[in-house]
Amino acid sequence: MPAAPSVAKLYVDHHRWLHAWLRRKLGCTHLAADLTQDTFVRVLGARDIGHLNEPRAYLLTLAQRVLYSFWRRRDLENAWLDALAAQPESYAPSAEDYALVREAIETLDRLLDGLPLRARKVLLMNRLEEMTHTEIAKAIGVSLATVERDMKLALTHCYMAGLGAAAATPQARS
Amino acid sequence: MNARQLDPIAEAAIDWLVRLDSGTAGADDHAAFARWLHADPRHEAVWRTISGLLDQPLAAIKDADTRLPGQRHAAHRALTAPARRKALRRGTAMLLLLGLGSYALNRQQPLLGLSADVHTATGERRQVQLADGSTLILNARSAVDIEFSAQTRLLRLRRGTLLIHTAADRQRPLIVATEHGEARALGTRFAVQLQDNHSELAVLEHSVRLTTADGSEQTFAAGSAARYDASGIHPMAESAAPLAAWADGQLDVRDRPLAELIAALRPYKRGYLQVSPQAAVLRVFGVFPLDDPDATLHALAETQPIAIRRYGPWLTVVEHQNEIR
Repeated sequence: MPAAPSVAKLYVDHHRWLHAWLRRKLGCTHLAADLTQDTFVRVLGARDIGHLNEPRAYLLTLAQRVLYSFWRRRDLENAWLDALAAQPESYAPSAEDYALVREAIETLDRLLDGLPLRARKVLLMNRLEEMTHTEIAKAIGVSLATVERDMKLALTHCYMAGLGAAAATPQARS
Repeated sequence: MNARQLDPIAEAAIDWLVRLDSGTAGADDHAAFARWLHADPRHEAVWRTISGLLDQPLAAIKDADTRLPGQRHAAHRALTAPARRKALRRGTAMLLLLGLGSYALNRQQPLLGLSADVHTATGERRQVQLADGSTLILNARSAVDIEFSAQTRLLRLRRGTLLIHTAADRQRPLIVATEHGEARALGTRFAVQLQDNHSELAVLEHSVRLTTADGSEQTFAAGSAARYDASGIHPMAESAAPLAAWADGQLDVRDRPLAELIAALRPYKRGYLQVSPQAAVLRVFGVFPLDDPDATLHALAETQPIAIRRYGPWLTVVEHQNEIR
């Protein structure tokens, strides 16, 4: 990659500083180290960093995105685990199940991001809980036509989100 | 809301998806769908893309649900929590409220005087009603001194963990003190745990102001947690709920080292519970009953590469399977 020398310089000059910044935000040095790496991975993915006037401002912008997506995933995971903990049975999933389900929920969350809450619910009731349109309409107190409209909206949204993700990471498909 | 134009094939595929999964699709619909699908190779390609997008993550959750029922429901709830942080808080508060009515507490003490020392033994959790109307729950192997005066309501945590639901009293602040600092209630419910080198705060409702010996001061809101010692305060990334699950008789661990879980079980198990360094670093998740530590160890051995050896009632050793052959 032609941009590599300047990325290396960026790393050498600023990674300690970035790590310290992230540690202040997170209160954990290991986590900060992970997210520092993630930030530089994003630098590598960026197109042109040949001449940066404000390298730290640039790094902070990327780091903030990394931090935002980290918190988002952490919140999602916490909401999931809280829901599990609220159930009557004790549970102890294998590490494999834990990772698979967490990843599945994150994927769904990305596809559903930005979709209105009711359409989200309708889609999950239908596809995840396998309820019929009639059952869903009764459960949330709307008409059958509304359920159908929400389903269509939700699937269209997922399709668009899926297209967007595929377009953003072309190397992931090759 | 979708600014980009949806191509007609995709739109048709989505219509089919809605129709076929409606619960009322009949043989006619399936036949008509098959005709559409085979009418044009592009139909099939788009159909695969659209149905495949959701099928993979949905299948993973349904699959896990067959092994551990409740996964579907939990995933659904996580994905529809609108403002997740807020929802998290509400869920937590409810969990604890429900719990309050049904604690399997070993002893209940009605009203306690203005100053008293309360402590609990191994495997014992105790709920205490304080003179001001506050409710104190003390975890197993814990000790607290209660010092109420005209100016303050002071709880000195000497050992272990407590959870307090404070009664309102504008004149007298309620403070939980450990050797590492003070947690001042701002009308609230929170838990404090004293460990060897630091203390931990978990805020369940409203907020709490922490002050440490070096003068650091920080306010924490519901759902947040912090670690503190004499030299400062460190916010924790974990949510507060699992740190206070013990008050419901549960151990709620989320990707934590096994050593932490064992440490939380110790006050509930007679004799000494030892964990080898190699087993101590295994990451564990799960909700386990506190009141039956042997069952919890047994459940752990089913999902983790560990072996449990008992040497009479006094010593139980948890080892990594690699160490025992």
